[in-house]
Amino acid sequence: MISSNRLSKLAVAMCAALPALVSASQTTTVQGLHDNSSSYVALQNATIVTEPGQTIENATLVIRNGKIERINENNRAPEGARVIDLSGHTVYPGFIDAYSNYGVPKPEKTDRGPWFSTRPEYNNKREGGNAANDAIHAQSKWVDRAASDSKSADDYIQQGFTAVQSARLDGIFQGQAVTLSLADKIANDVVYEAQARHFGSFDKGSSQQQYPNSLMGSIALIRQTLSDANWYEQAYGKESYKGPVEYNAALAELVPVEQEGMVFAVTDDKSLLRAHSVFSEFDVPVTYVGSNYEYARLDAIKATNSTLILPLNFPAAPEVSGVNDHLDVELADLRHWERAPGNAAALSAANVDFSFTLHQLKKADEFWPNLRKAVQHGLSKERALAALTTIPARIAGVSDKAGKIAPGYMADLVVAEGDLFTKGTIKSVWLQGEEKELAPLRKADFSGTIAATIANQGVTLELKGDETIAGELVVGDSRSKLRASRRDESSVSFVVDAELAGTAGTWRMQLEQTAENTYAGVAVGPDGRELNFTGSSEAASAATESANTDASAKVEYVSRLTFPNVAYGLDGLPERQNLHIKNATVWTAEDEQGVLEQTDILIRDGEFYRIGENLRTPSGYTVIDATGMHVTPGIIDEHSHIAIDRGVNEASEAITAEVRIGDVVNPDDIHVYRSLAGGTTMAQLLHGSANPIGGQAQVIKLRWGATADQMKFDAAPPSIKFALGENVKQSRYPSWLSSRYPQTRMGVETLMRDGFTAALDYRERMEAYKKLSRSERAKTAPPRPDYRLQTLLEILDRERFVHAHSYVQSEILMLLRLAEDFNFTLTTFTHILEGYKVASEMAKHGAGGSSFADWWAYKFEVYDAIPQNACLMSEKGVLTSINSDSNDLQRRLNTEAAKSVTYCGMSEHEALQMVTLNPAKQLKVDQYVGSIAEGKHADFVIWNNHPLSSYARVEQTWINARNYFNRERDEVLRAELQEEKQALMQKVLADPSASKGAENGYKREQPSWHCDTEHDTWLQTFTAHSHGGH
Amino acid sequence: MKKLMTAVAAASLTLSAVAHDIVPGEPQQQPILLQGGTLYTVTDGVKQDTDLLMVDGKISAIGKDLEIPAGAQVVDVTGKHLYPGVIAMDTTLGLKEIEAVRATEDSDETGAITPEVSGHVAYNPDSEVIPTIRYNGISHAQIVPQGELITGRSSVLQLDGWTYEDAAESLDIGVHVNWPRVGVSNSWWESRSPEEQRKANAEARKNLERAFIEAKAYYDAKQAGELNGTDLRWEAMLGLFDGSSTLYVHADDERQIREAMDLTKEFGFDWVLMGARDAWRMADQLAAADVRVVFGAPYGLPTRHDEAFDQAFSTPAALAEAGVDFAISYPGYWDVRNLPFAAGNAVAYGLDKDAALRAITLAPAEFMGVADSVGSLEVGKQGTVVVSAGDLMDPIGQKVELLFIEGRLVDLNNRHLQLYNKYQQKP
Repeated sequence: MISSNRLSKLAVAMCAALPALVSASQTTTVQGLHDNSSSYVALQNATIVTEPGQTIENATLVIRNGKIERINENNRAPEGARVIDLSGHTVYPGFIDAYSNYGVPKPEKTDRGPWFSTRPEYNNKREGGNAANDAIHAQSKWVDRAASDSKSADDYIQQGFTAVQSARLDGIFQGQAVTLSLADKIANDVVYEAQARHFGSFDKGSSQQQYPNSLMGSIALIRQTLSDANWYEQAYGKESYKGPVEYNAALAELVPVEQEGMVFAVTDDKSLLRAHSVFSEFDVPVTYVGSNYEYARLDAIKATNSTLILPLNFPAAPEVSGVNDHLDVELADLRHWERAPGNAAALSAANVDFSFTLHQLKKADEFWPNLRKAVQHGLSKERALAALTTIPARIAGVSDKAGKIAPGYMADLVVAEGDLFTKGTIKSVWLQGEEKELAPLRKADFSGTIAATIANQGVTLELKGDETIAGELVVGDSRSKLRASRRDESSVSFVVDAELAGTAGTWRMQLEQTAENTYAGVAVGPDGRELNFTGSSEAASAATESANTDASAKVEYVSRLTFPNVAYGLDGLPERQNLHIKNATVWTAEDEQGVLEQTDILIRDGEFYRIGENLRTPSGYTVIDATGMHVTPGIIDEHSHIAIDRGVNEASEAITAEVRIGDVVNPDDIHVYRSLAGGTTMAQLLHGSANPIGGQAQVIKLRWGATADQMKFDAAPPSIKFALGENVKQSRYPSWLSSRYPQTRMGVETLMRDGFTAALDYRERMEAYKKLSRSERAKTAPPRPDYRLQTLLEILDRERFVHAHSYVQSEILMLLRLAEDFNFTLTTFTHILEGYKVASEMAKHGAGGSSFADWWAYKFEVYDAIPQNACLMSEKGVLTSINSDSNDLQRRLNTEAAKSVTYCGMSEHEALQMVTLNPAKQLKVDQYVGSIAEGKHADFVIWNNHPLSSYARVEQTWINARNYFNRERDEVLRAELQEEKQALMQKVLADPSASKGAENGYKREQPSWHCDTEHDTWLQTFTAHSHGGH
Repeated sequence: MKKLMTAVAAASLTLSAVAHDIVPGEPQQQPILLQGGTLYTVTDGVKQDTDLLMVDGKISAIGKDLEIPAGAQVVDVTGKHLYPGVIAMDTTLGLKEIEAVRATEDSDETGAITPEVSGHVAYNPDSEVIPTIRYNGISHAQIVPQGELITGRSSVLQLDGWTYEDAAESLDIGVHVNWPRVGVSNSWWESRSPEEQRKANAEARKNLERAFIEAKAYYDAKQAGELNGTDLRWEAMLGLFDGSSTLYVHADDERQIREAMDLTKEFGFDWVLMGARDAWRMADQLAAADVRVVFGAPYGLPTRHDEAFDQAFSTPAALAEAGVDFAISYPGYWDVRNLPFAAGNAVAYGLDKDAALRAITLAPAEFMGVADSVGSLEVGKQGTVVVSAGDLMDPIGQKVELLFIEGRLVDLNNRHLQLYNKYQQKP
């Protein structure tokens, strides 16, 4: 308990007096009188936490001129210093928020309205050497626009913050932040670090420019911009092939970003890993503003070796109180509600450094309750303090002046009573040696039973409350309620109807605390008589103390943590097994073997090892009795859009060869699991069909539970999506929105020709530059590395293979001839519904075709599509496959392939090849997968019936001899998840504070992507998409 | 192979050269005896090596070694599978030609409440889509106006007619309602808060109730001779109140279905539940209340993230298990031809094969009031018969060789076969 209750009147007076004379920087002329108030202060009798883990008891902290002069461990206050008694209080370093937009202007309005209401902008306004993309503001130095803002500062100060790192949070490269003190002074005096980190995010923010409108587009833009900065460093001041190299302020400012580093905001664990991989390419050190989803991929996050900034906006629980609410709630959200507050503890346990930010909190005063929640979830107080002091100081570039209590550091302090990390309160915050009082250091305590003697009469006051005092006066047997109670720091006054000193009526009274448990008061009677009295109370019990410690009781989780952390997630990657499959009907998909009855397969080290009859079981092998079952190779889908985050199309510019689906693989997509349950083991994730030359594709194996990187099948050679026809010429756009070249199939041809020609010119410049002499290089700029053109060159060099979305015969022929002109082979036409019309031309060229089994009539260019297409192509010698382009069809490609048996009598063996070996060949991975052959990967499916039949069902799906889907296990998972969901709902219902927290705090459902799903992921606008569009 | 088969083959060859020249079959002139097939009667089990005789458009006899009537055409169907024509519910056949070309669409009238429009009115019997549907053994379809809330009236047509009148099996069989949305979504394209969503849901629900109250008031006033004039909207709904018309309620969510059960009970409607994705959650209640269910998502993805991967596949089996009277539909137009395969898929996930066949033949016929004439192979019913070389519900079996509608031999040629034949000839 506090030992002295005398208030520091001086402190109060100082606070009130200071604003009268505004302090000024050295260069400001003084108007009126000079302010030479003493700044020499000693905070005595304090417990001083100089930095996390370092505490000095009963010491004196000496402050002068806004800085810490010294710490007197002997608790002696120097002569001449104003002394403030902080006994019973703890002094912490002032807190630092390393991610803020304090003190800088907000962006102009960002609303764009519905997509059809505004003409698309393809270019931005050029001014002052800005970047070509309006989402890049790297040239902005926010110190130039920083100004103190006492109103906004207050939100921070109330929580104990004394400094922030700040920039306008708008766009992809947001400019260079400034680290500012929150003191209410002119900007010149509050700048702690004028050139702090660059800020950034994937969100293009207020930019009205089309590009980028997808997450992969943002990543590509970051990649190109960082590369451009490297180029600019060497090129500026020299001659390019088109004259002098342009002045570009944005690139100039990014040149030193490898030293200055970035603070980059992400929205979930997956995007953190994505950002990390692009910034690592350029050795840019990045601190990530996290999402509190990091616990779900802790190992991968830890492996980035990054520091994080964590918002404390834990989500409100999903609503579960209504009798039907279970219909709308997802297990993943319930799990996250339970575990988000434990994210910091989980990161801490993994030794990942992080700081906390107020950012994203709707109300600043949610900060401490949430931080305490994090502590309840197991975060140590020491780590919590580090997250408020030393770590953000490091991130904000002010480790030499803030974040610690040490001589020479700024006198930015937090004075608290009680344990801040469980229940304490912040009494005052010191900014540059000046106190901002939040609550009185000493506040009289009136709660309890006070025995007093008034005019020789023993009375009792039974009082309750802290802010408002209520209670009763007991005189003998009669009790009266106190009315009109009012209190300040030291006294409480009230009126009460009572008979005292022989006078009945309404008495007015005032009570003051004189020391712990002793009181002095005055009572004014109905007759105006004043009676002084004294009183005392029983010593308070230890009850309040124990209440504090209760708050740190450890939280127990009822949710499981799986990979991915959603329903049907796995505990970890399934183990690789050596297997002996016995007595199956084996569909090898190999022409020579065909279908083998009553056959055994041995699988060793992840590969098919032997295929034959009555094989002996080697020791240690797991035996699967497949009598009556069928085994096929894993199904391969040439055309899939599952497992893609935030945009399948970079639907902005006509050529976007630089964007990569591989940058946005979403390993958490439930369709990965559902497709496994349909026997699919590999898929080529394609960019959409909104532009003639779309983005780079990514081949994955459907390793449910793995990270995005682990899903990628690296042995697959690079590929890319092209598209022709109605989608790329924007046929469904209203005419006033159609300004992009091309708008006809004629223009598609010329645009592609122009792209390839530009790529060749680019190569020529590159080669020419290589041949230059040293002296010529001194004045010649190196050609700017261009990811878009480099990708096109990879196609021309036959290192990257084209999968072209196509329908009608004219465009197919066009692309064949164009490819021949540029001397490469078109690998696969996808969709290719009129492939049957030019099958011999395709075969002659060497192009494959990957078709829908029976889709047609959903748009004009598919009016001639026929279900005999695959047969006709195949008969003419075209390598033919059947694809899904759909998260539904991807689950049943077996019966889709069977339709060629139905409609045109294809053999069953060949039909199965269309979803196994043939797509493997089209993806150029048939040396690894696609058939059951010795030495190939053990990717296979066990079916209960003829695999092309309606009546077939998948029993098990294996990838590299790991069992990723198993019907029996699925049944168990179903039951378990129901139980877990119920338990979590019970927990929500039992928690009175469950409804408090951030709205929209969960990952949002991704749409079912189709080829032609066009939408701007940053502007949240969707273009129309109808069923059956592809 | 008898004369008829040859004739069919010859016809398709000559027809293939001329697009559009797919002529509706001539009325049956002489008795036709299909000899020695495997008959999937639906009502009387599977009969091996059995004959089926059609006279004057009707099935006149089923049995072993039937006597050949005078002047009959005899077709040897030994080893073939014979089914009643498949009946596709909930389609927009003839109302849509090319989905993305607005001029070719006649399925959605403007306005939320349009019970006055009838599907058959805009039905294009020359749609290139229709012959491709017949090709897979589908003989009849329900043509359903689409839209917002009360979308219009549907009709059952046979799929080989010169005009909709010629094709009519039963017109204006009922009124269709899309049940208003319930529940809240957190998908990122839903910009409204849960509170706003709930409010909008309640409002839409109120609008629907109001429409029924208006329609009932109109009906009552008309009975009492108290109307001021004619209102085509409420006229179109009169039949709901005297039991002569059926209400087809399109509802997927458990809450919608429960609301629909309450409302139809309150008004005493004869009704059929369409869509019904959540029917598995309440199969026992649906069975107990004798609700007829048309399950519309036989190939559906799970409705909710946490549902089992095969929830939609296994729903028909769950309905059968609980004793629900159900049919299976494949809502759409060009893709409706997959209906038999979709029924087969339900078999893979636990449904009995006979029940699967019933769900695409007799059950739809019953639900649309045409079971007296179609839906099963029974004496006295229409001679609407599919002859397939293999299992109709399995893509590796199905091969429809003959289709009779009311005893008329239907031309199985279609745009796809025509293009197939044409491009087989390309050098």
